[in-house]
Amino acid sequence: MIVEIGHYALVLALAIALIVSIAPVVGARRNDAALMALAPSGSIILFGMVTLSFLALTWAYAVSDFSVRNVWENSHSLMPMIYKLSGVWGNHEGSMLLWLLILTLFSALVALFGRNLPDTLRANVLAVQAWVTVAFTLFILLTSNPFIRLNPAPAEGQDLNPVLQDPGLAVHPPLLYLGYVGFSVCFSFAVAALIEGRIDAAWARWVRPWTLAAWTFLTAGIAMGSYWAYYELGWGGWWFWDPVENASFMPWLAGTALLHSALVMEKREALKIWTVLLAIITFSLSLLGTFLVRSGVLTSVHAFATDPTRGTFILAILSIFVGGAFALFAWRAPQLKSGGIFAPISREGALVLNNLILTVSTATVLTGTLYPLVLETLTGEKISVGAPFFNLTFGLLMIPLLLIVPMGPLLAWKRGDLLGAMQRLYLVAGLALVVGLGLYYVENGGPVLAFLGLALGIYLILGSLVDLWYRANFGKLAFSIAFARLKGLPRSAFGTALAHMGLGVTVLGIVAVTAFETEHVLEMKQGMTADAGGYTLVFDGMKEAVGPNFTEERAHFTISKAGVAVADVWSSKRIYTARRMPTTEAGIVSFGLSQLYVSLGDPMADGGIVVRIWWKPFILCIWLGSVIMMIGGFVSLSDRRLRVGAPSRRTKPAKIALEPAE
Amino acid sequence: MTRKQKRMAVIAGGMSFILIAVLLVMFAFSQSVAYFFMPSDLAKNEVSPGTRIRLGGLVEAGSVVRGAGSTVSFKVTDGSASVPVSYTGILPDLFREGQGVVTEGVFTTSQAFVADSVLAKHDENYMPKEVADRLKADGVWKESEGSPTTGAKGSVTR
Amino acid sequence: MIFWILIAVLTAGVAGLLIAPLMKPRPQLTTAREDEAAVYRDQMKEIDRDLALGLLGEKEADYARAEIGRRLLAATDAPQRGLTPAALPRPHRITTLLVILCPPAIGLAGYLMLGSPGMPDQPLAARLANPGNNIELLLAKAERHLAQNPNDGAGWDLLAPIYMRSGRYADADQAFRNSIRILGATPQRLAGLGETMVAANQGIVTDEARGFFEKAVALEPGNIRSRFYVALGLEQAGRKPEALAAFKAIKRDSPPGAAWEQLIDQHIAAVSGNAPGNPSAADVAAAQNLSGQERQAMIAGMVESLAERLKADPKNIEGWLRLVRSYKVLGREQDARDALQTGLKTFPAETGEGQRLLALAREIGLGEGIVQ
Repeated sequence: MIVEIGHYALVLALAIALIVSIAPVVGARRNDAALMALAPSGSIILFGMVTLSFLALTWAYAVSDFSVRNVWENSHSLMPMIYKLSGVWGNHEGSMLLWLLILTLFSALVALFGRNLPDTLRANVLAVQAWVTVAFTLFILLTSNPFIRLNPAPAEGQDLNPVLQDPGLAVHPPLLYLGYVGFSVCFSFAVAALIEGRIDAAWARWVRPWTLAAWTFLTAGIAMGSYWAYYELGWGGWWFWDPVENASFMPWLAGTALLHSALVMEKREALKIWTVLLAIITFSLSLLGTFLVRSGVLTSVHAFATDPTRGTFILAILSIFVGGAFALFAWRAPQLKSGGIFAPISREGALVLNNLILTVSTATVLTGTLYPLVLETLTGEKISVGAPFFNLTFGLLMIPLLLIVPMGPLLAWKRGDLLGAMQRLYLVAGLALVVGLGLYYVENGGPVLAFLGLALGIYLILGSLVDLWYRANFGKLAFSIAFARLKGLPRSAFGTALAHMGLGVTVLGIVAVTAFETEHVLEMKQGMTADAGGYTLVFDGMKEAVGPNFTEERAHFTISKAGVAVADVWSSKRIYTARRMPTTEAGIVSFGLSQLYVSLGDPMADGGIVVRIWWKPFILCIWLGSVIMMIGGFVSLSDRRLRVGAPSRRTKPAKIALEPAE
Repeated sequence: MTRKQKRMAVIAGGMSFILIAVLLVMFAFSQSVAYFFMPSDLAKNEVSPGTRIRLGGLVEAGSVVRGAGSTVSFKVTDGSASVPVSYTGILPDLFREGQGVVTEGVFTTSQAFVADSVLAKHDENYMPKEVADRLKADGVWKESEGSPTTGAKGSVTR
Repeated sequence: MIFWILIAVLTAGVAGLLIAPLMKPRPQLTTAREDEAAVYRDQMKEIDRDLALGLLGEKEADYARAEIGRRLLAATDAPQRGLTPAALPRPHRITTLLVILCPPAIGLAGYLMLGSPGMPDQPLAARLANPGNNIELLLAKAERHLAQNPNDGAGWDLLAPIYMRSGRYADADQAFRNSIRILGATPQRLAGLGETMVAANQGIVTDEARGFFEKAVALEPGNIRSRFYVALGLEQAGRKPEALAAFKAIKRDSPPGAAWEQLIDQHIAAVSGNAPGNPSAADVAAAQNLSGQERQAMIAGMVESLAERLKADPKNIEGWLRLVRSYKVLGREQDARDALQTGLKTFPAETGEGQRLLALAREIGLGEGIVQ
């Protein structure tokens, strides 16, 4: 009964979404407050219904109700509870329901926290959100319904794909979707502005927190996914330029550009049309990602059961929304008043350069991702565009961006003093070169470029601090005064500094791992030793073990440095019983920010086993940097200015009471 | 400089950046794109030694030979032709005789293919898509040869 | 009934919440651009703050103030784009009616089309507590027991032949090995493991399987069945003289007029003659007959009568499942396939029953050609 109520709630959600997609738009045109008021309350009810539906499916997973086909296909009664629950989104149907849940969550958040928005804008934004909701609810109900029942019910499920049985996966998709789908709000703001035919600096401020939130979650989601691939797939790589990874990376790049262009628009009322376009592009890339992953045109870990009708349906959604938005843009954009002008050397000039580089890089990644698909459709030739392509193009394009990142915040709005900004960075650049050189000698070896790369990372980290240093005026004022000034700086300044610093930390990690990583593949027998990264590993032997739904062969290694045992690690090969699927569980030990990564290969006839050992210096920096970026995002989000609008609305006292206290 | 000239300079700068990016993309494509071949394609078109290609097919049953250390040699077949491949490293979990595989590497001579990566992707049907498409087209592979529990899943779901 | 009451409450609640804003008298709209002005006023204040902190020069601050001031002016003085606040709240009778009707209409129509109303939840724990005579559930129960007590040899002993009969060869293989490991090797277990491997390899007696049969023969030299497989393995491996000797030995040790006499003679002829005689599924099926042809005949008879019954009354999903599985176990692939197709006519693939048929087909390896 619970399952059926969940199913009904989903159908009901479709009905509500239809009402919310029509009534508020009519209300906004007629200036009818009652119709517009349907939008916020409707969006919240909509979220409630989808939540109910999602909980019902989750319950079916929790109690292993195999009369639900989706549960039977993707669950097993012996799985640990956490994987039963994460199994809800470990498959196509469930993950689409999660997509919908997050979409409606964002609508509800706009309804709740958007009280400072003009009524018409809020009504239109929520209506556009509801259009997307209608499309995806229909998609789920008609092609990917998770509530289809089996009667009589089978006695046991077919198990969740073993590589998805991992704590990382429990959080990766929700985070990723919070980012991906969060950009729908930016899209809705853009379309709503185009419908109203008016856009101004205030719009940028209203859309910025949503961009920031989506960007922050997407950063976390991508980092999580990368870490998951790193330790779960057992190949020791952390980024593969796999089309599915690119599908989430492109919205991130475009979203980063959007974040920066919205800043220019808010401060200088310039780049208005560009920002609107970028908001549309960002969410279009999210939709494209959903299409690429869900349609089955790509195969990867993420491609669940594929089905041509689903692909066609999502392609239709993609063309309607993207095509529609671009058509609306082409029609309305000429009517929008274009914004102010600015000098090339200024904060906004630097941000425009940032946008140029980010957009071109996005286009490069898009080309590399889609080119094989296009070529195959046109000529039938199958090619693969791999990591070398992306490393060459994307890598080179990023260098100028990384160089200007610390300069941006140092330049003044309107007309900046490039020489002044550079002077402030001389010291930092010099210091970075010295430290880079030092690190290079410590790790000795590796390509010469590595040292420049390391210096670049350090330059970014120190550069982000320089901005805060000069703003607080340390060095000229007494320490206590400067410290007080530092505390008085807006939170967004700290957010910017943290995000840029995080970028530097990530760059540092990427360069260090790429340049100094060592890899040994060797055949080991019990008692043999191997050296990696200054540590010695002793292979102590194999042991069999049984997990709840798998059996494994585990190898034990003792790790010592200079003869002293410092750590030990298990590495294993598992067979998941239900699907008879083998997986490799790598053994990973961290030493500071560096890691030893041990993965098992095939057993040899003479009793030995092939072992692959990596020394990954500073690899944790890659994800640590992402975490810092994410913290920067949250700090920025907490800036009071993003919540502005409410205090002046004394005409509406009832709404002030609902404003969160500061 | 007048304002107009300034603007022109900015636009020219932007354009040249885009141009550089386009040239870079074209260069990278010419350098690092690998074409996909099946063993019988290689019989038809010669691939010159040193060109990076992807070679896909089924691992020929009984052809896997483990050499010294972690070097493995096996044959990739598509039913009508087969190509010997050697690879040093750890084979993926799903590498099995008779199952689909995609290898990437170069021919050192016209006979020996040295792979530097071997993929047996975690695909629903335990079969890399490129290989499955081609084998289906050639009639070598049938639905049921995937894993029996999941092999026909795609076609059953509506 | 409770289900429908809940559905009604849910629908009514949603409709009620939706029309609430339409019922409430609305305050007049604020001028549309006031929210915008609020943002600009805040930007002004920010400039003052930055100025006080010394982050901004006096001159730059003036520029910025002038710029924001222009925007503020534009926002507050702008004509309201022809939007006059409605003087009187408009009546929303039609809208209200539509909003009330929409959820039940779309909700019920859509749900009745897609859902399975009234179908109860079936949590596994509850089903296991009361499995009835559902073989699958009993099997699942036994499996859970064994997952917790993996050293219960008797359990594995019981499960192994069941797995074997339902075509789950990998499980059967594991179960036989477990029972051998825990309870020790007996000719029956060894032969069972061997036969599982033969079945899993489409009738080929692999060297490993032959090894198990040989062990079984070593434990019980009179085990004709195992000896037949050993001989068959030798024949398949091309070791004809040895195979011939083995078959002849079987013939010698068999009582005259044994049911398998003819089969052995065929093999002797095939091995001694030059006919290559590729061993086929028929051999294996025949070999399985060795242990009791009467029983086999009886099973065949039961299957035929089941098929007859289903012809008369096809609406019996359990019957179809049993029939398909039986044909498969009897080695009658084509009949199994035909039965599956006929069953799917009554229970199309979209239905839950059809799904079960397809699941069975996949499970026992009838997948190809069925689902397209």
